[in-house]
Amino acid sequence: MNKAISITPPSRLSRFWHKWRFHINVLLLLIPLGFMPKYFADASLFRGDSGLGQREIGTVQVGPWSLRLAELREEAPSLSGPAGYMKDFTAALCDACVEPVKATYLRIGKPRSLRAAGTIFFGTPYRMGTQMPIPEKTKPDAELWITMEGWDGSMHQASIPLSQASPATVAWLNKQGAKP
Amino acid sequence: MTRSPLHSRLLASAALLVLSAGFSASALAHNPMCECKAIDAEQIQCTGGFSDGSGAPGVTLDVIGYDETILVPGKLGADSTLTFKKPGSEFYVLFDAGPGHVVEIDQADIQAP
Repeated sequence: MNKAISITPPSRLSRFWHKWRFHINVLLLLIPLGFMPKYFADASLFRGDSGLGQREIGTVQVGPWSLRLAELREEAPSLSGPAGYMKDFTAALCDACVEPVKATYLRIGKPRSLRAAGTIFFGTPYRMGTQMPIPEKTKPDAELWITMEGWDGSMHQASIPLSQASPATVAWLNKQGAKP
Repeated sequence: MTRSPLHSRLLASAALLVLSAGFSASALAHNPMCECKAIDAEQIQCTGGFSDGSGAPGVTLDVIGYDETILVPGKLGADSTLTFKKPGSEFYVLFDAGPGHVVEIDQADIQAP
């Protein structure tokens, strides 16, 4: 009754793993801590605790109405897939505008018509957001046009220089040069 | 060493979690897109869609003159395209997927065949 039992010794990797696996797992739990400051900053930005956006542009008078405008992030437009470069803006309607204003639009350059007024702001009137496409051929001296449409059918428009609305976007346009 | 069914199931669900985290961002944006090109000297073809890759069959696409008269009121076909005869006067193309979801293409931005 002689039974040969051969035991292969565990590999070095296996020994290392068995010795340190609990420590390694604790380290893995620590990794998310490094992302916490960015996470909480973003959470506060999206909840509105740190204001309308990273950079307040100020109050813009649009006919009888007004709105507070802000850049959600103080940075250059970001590439959003095949639709091109996009820039996020946030806005809050004045207290007296909440009821009469039906829609607010944002566009680079003067809109040709209400149908082509640009991107629409969505969300609560106290904190609306929109994502505006920035064509690469935009001139750095372009103007940002705000169109507000009332429930009574009235329409009011105002414009501010893009350099005032988003210096980061103008810097980005200047850096990449004018596209044809 | 054979893997227990529990082990493989854990692995599979971890892989699924990683995959869904990777794909979640692509579902966020769906901006309207439109592209027009001249297919010959007389005809222009416009293709509409959304940046999440979906097409836009049935969506309104109007050809509008600089004086705001609608020259060609159209809707995209089942293949998300519309072909129309180039108007004689100055025009722009408006892909209109609803208020605030529009794309404007000026005649100057339509590439020649």
